[in-house]
Amino acid sequence: MKTIVIGLGNPILGDDGIGWRVVEQVQKEIKQQKQIDSEIIFECLSIGGLTLMEHLIGYERAILVDAITTGNTPDGTIRTFPIEALPNLAIGHFSSAHDTTLQNAIEVGRKMGAEIPYNIDIVAIEAQQIYDFSEDLSNQVRKALPKAVKTVKELIR
Amino acid sequence: MERITIDPITRLEGHGKIEIFLDDEGNVANTYFQVPQLRGFEQFCVGRPVEEVPLLTNRICGVCPEAHHMAGAKAADAVYHVDPPRTAKLLRELLYSAFYVTDHTTHFYALAGPDFVMGPDAPIAERNILGVIHKVGLEIGGQVIQARKYGHTVIEMIGGRKVHPCTSIPGGLTKGITEEQRKEIEEMGRWAIEFGQFSLSLFNDIVLKNQTYLDLILGDIYKDETYYIGMVDEQNKINFYDGKVSVVAPDGERIGKYAPDEYTDWIAERVEPWTYLKFPYLKKVGWKGFVDGKDSGVYIATPLSRLNASDGMATPLAQEEYEKFYETFGDKPVHHRLATHWARLIELLYAAERWVELATDPEITSDNFHTVPTETPTEGVGIVEAPRGTLTHHYWTDERGVTTKVNLVVGTTNNYAPISMSIKKAAQSLIKKGEIVTEPMLNMVEMAFRLYDPCLSCATHSLPGKMPLQITIHNSEGNPIEVLKQNC
Repeated sequence: MKTIVIGLGNPILGDDGIGWRVVEQVQKEIKQQKQIDSEIIFECLSIGGLTLMEHLIGYERAILVDAITTGNTPDGTIRTFPIEALPNLAIGHFSSAHDTTLQNAIEVGRKMGAEIPYNIDIVAIEAQQIYDFSEDLSNQVRKALPKAVKTVKELIR
Repeated sequence: MERITIDPITRLEGHGKIEIFLDDEGNVANTYFQVPQLRGFEQFCVGRPVEEVPLLTNRICGVCPEAHHMAGAKAADAVYHVDPPRTAKLLRELLYSAFYVTDHTTHFYALAGPDFVMGPDAPIAERNILGVIHKVGLEIGGQVIQARKYGHTVIEMIGGRKVHPCTSIPGGLTKGITEEQRKEIEEMGRWAIEFGQFSLSLFNDIVLKNQTYLDLILGDIYKDETYYIGMVDEQNKINFYDGKVSVVAPDGERIGKYAPDEYTDWIAERVEPWTYLKFPYLKKVGWKGFVDGKDSGVYIATPLSRLNASDGMATPLAQEEYEKFYETFGDKPVHHRLATHWARLIELLYAAERWVELATDPEITSDNFHTVPTETPTEGVGIVEAPRGTLTHHYWTDERGVTTKVNLVVGTTNNYAPISMSIKKAAQSLIKKGEIVTEPMLNMVEMAFRLYDPCLSCATHSLPGKMPLQITIHNSEGNPIEVLKQNC
């Protein structure tokens, strides 16, 4: 199944870079284990809304990895859910404040006849330290990295 | 005193918050527009080779990385005292023109469009790009996607990547384009011109021919008489990539033009205790508070201000639209802020025309796209017009070219004071004693800042855990008496 795995976030904004780290590590481990599958594409992006939707075109499946700020769970908590479980809010990486939400963008794309996967899973890691410019993750979020990597690898399988 | 909070602002980059304070009679006493602080970016850039900084700064923001890359590249040129060859300048401006078409298209159809096509008081679930497509036709959506696709293709061809370009270095570019690519770029640019014309005719049919909208644009709710700034070429025509920044007073008098390295003579920043973001103002006029008029140094840097600060557009079709714009208002400068949406579409057409002009320049495919810097690096300033306003990057380095200090005045920051003023005026006009505050009323307050397309906390988002819009009304003791939450 042609799959795209996307790490979302800003890699220079502390814990906001966790999505990138996870996807980079998954790609590295898969390469090391010589489990390379030409059907699986990895990308790290700092985008949302229409631009994110445009990156999904042509794939049958997508896995999106991002930070999440609910404030309800400890930093580093990992959640996995289908996109349908994500509220269609107008902020966050799945949106762009300068265009629209990913859900709306996907609907626009489909109306235009674009092939956008119906199978989109989200792996979200709770993080609060996203307002300080830094290439480092906080301790709690860094500790969640191996588990998040494992989660994504299992989803790929 | 009652207090209404809108937090965070719908469709605004980052988590902004509007607080509206009512007096005992229920009228708006004051408003505050607050944004979160992003800490330490300038320090983060210190201690790095200056050629890396344009790559880092384009990571500040997921919306206009091209603008940061260009301003950073120009600042790095200046640090090394190197003038890139003409082909490099043409290519950078070509990339930038394609970016403008993409960015302005997205703003109009996804952000401004819903308010006008669907109406400011349409159900919130319909006030988005899907509503626009549903009402105007499926073909519109296809054209928006096509415009974005073409823009991204040009950005990738010249900038090396679709979203975050990486080819500008001190002295020019790391690569040029082939004749085959040039032909493709020209063809896409010609399509973009037609799309720009179509967008203006759509605006004409939907907005200008609708008396209600026209009255809204020409009315006083969205009007402030401030200074205007924008970059112009030697003929005082708008240019997004190069030139001097023209400064025009509320009465239309041009009080001067400044080169990038003169910006500190013109722009100063005011600190207020209730917000992290500073308020830039014109140093030569001075800070008189959040007031308009010729004695107040508050200025705007937007598509509207660029039109007001220039003597016209450098391309023929956009110039025709420019003339029509000022004929409609009957005066210059135009102080009606909602006219920014119209100005943005005129700029879109200009960018498309400029795209073709540059793509058909005989030197665009030359392989002379880089001059090797030979001088000792010191300090430099680069300015471009970002879609949201004048963008200034200022770098200092040691003799090895390693940064020792970085200062940025970003597009939207210029507009912080006028945005705050526009919100207050709209709130005071719309929220009156004794009336129930409704969602459409709050949307019309939001329209006061949405026209600026503000981008305050570039790329800071993580997934939201809260509702995007929260309105809290407090009684005179400061206790919340009603909380409204909604999706959009």
